[in-house]
Amino acid sequence: MMNFVWLLAVETAEAVEEGGGLFDLDATLPLMAVQFVLLAVALNVLFYKPLGKVLDERDGYISSNQVDAAERLAKAEQIAKQYQQELAETRRQAQAVIAEAQEEAQKIAAQTVATAQQEAQAQREQVQRELDEQKNQAMATLEQQVDGLSQQILDKLLGSLAA
Amino acid sequence: MALNMLMIHPLVLAKLEVGQHLYWQLGGLKLHGQVFLTSWFVIGALLLVSFLATRNIQRIPSGLQNFMEYALEFIRDLAKNQIGEKEYRPWVPFVGTLFLFIFVSNWSGALIPWKLIHLPSGELAAPTNDINTTVALALLTSLAYFYAGFSNRGLGYFAKYIEPTPILLPINILEDFTKPLSLSFRLFGNILADELVVAVLVLLVPLFVPLPVMVLGLFTSAIQALIFATLAAAYIGEAIEGHGGEEHG
Repeated sequence: MMNFVWLLAVETAEAVEEGGGLFDLDATLPLMAVQFVLLAVALNVLFYKPLGKVLDERDGYISSNQVDAAERLAKAEQIAKQYQQELAETRRQAQAVIAEAQEEAQKIAAQTVATAQQEAQAQREQVQRELDEQKNQAMATLEQQVDGLSQQILDKLLGSLAA
Repeated sequence: MALNMLMIHPLVLAKLEVGQHLYWQLGGLKLHGQVFLTSWFVIGALLLVSFLATRNIQRIPSGLQNFMEYALEFIRDLAKNQIGEKEYRPWVPFVGTLFLFIFVSNWSGALIPWKLIHLPSGELAAPTNDINTTVALALLTSLAYFYAGFSNRGLGYFAKYIEPTPILLPINILEDFTKPLSLSFRLFGNILADELVVAVLVLLVPLFVPLPVMVLGLFTSAIQALIFATLAAAYIGEAIEGHGGEEHG
């Protein structure tokens, strides 16, 4: 282990003597910087711009769709509300029509009943009158017959008496 | 097996190769070839994935597009949180590329067995394992926040050096140096240390024991990428809104 560390140190020292070493700054530095800038430019064209555009477009697409959807939802809700209102109105109208029809029907029924009662009353009265008349007639006939019979009885009594 | 090699060839340990580089000459300039090789791999991977993800863009994302949109939203959130809703958009490419480049670099260093590919000198590792890369990124961050400050507040940006009181002037100036220093060394140190720890443990106990450290390394790598990008965005945001402005809750 010690041997190893020592060797490592020697190796590093040797490298430094050869002009190498860990902190050997040379033309690699500026060239690497240039290379990096070129990479940044290339990636900008190839990666950041197109994909960034896609991301932004998608954001726009999603938000516009969301706004659109919200608008449509509001419209749908409004239509539903209107429908409800119309429904209520129609129900009320139907109720009114039914009530009116019932009233009318009741009126007609009452009228019909009244007419029928009147007619019945009139017929009853007529029948009563006819009955009375016939009764009177019968009474008159009966009286006549009573008179005749009583005459006959009287005649018979008087005849036997005279005889 | 490595332990065996340790017994037989002590020099095998030298394969840990700290501070050795594959030098390329470009004119009179020296370059670290291994850093460029892996960074090209990382850049290629990023470009390829971006290309595949944006090849056929759908409104309803799926697969790779979905994943990259998630990454973009993550980066946007990061930039938005640090810079603010109003100003963050132009800075998304810079902050995002910082995060993606560092993240993919770190994870490629932790996940891809680069060491199987032998180089004449040095060895392949995460690009962020080299101080040049991290210093380059940190200096770019400094430039970025200076640019953000000047473009947003003009020369009034200098006012931040004497805020809240002129006594703090030296400290405020010092801050401009400590920011890139801490940024670069934090990233460099974490990644290098992580790879070294894993390498040493693999040398000592090649089986199972290094696994938890490797998992920890993955975690650290991700966190370091996040920290770098977040701090860069925070510096930019600070430069835009000014010291005397509202503090972050």
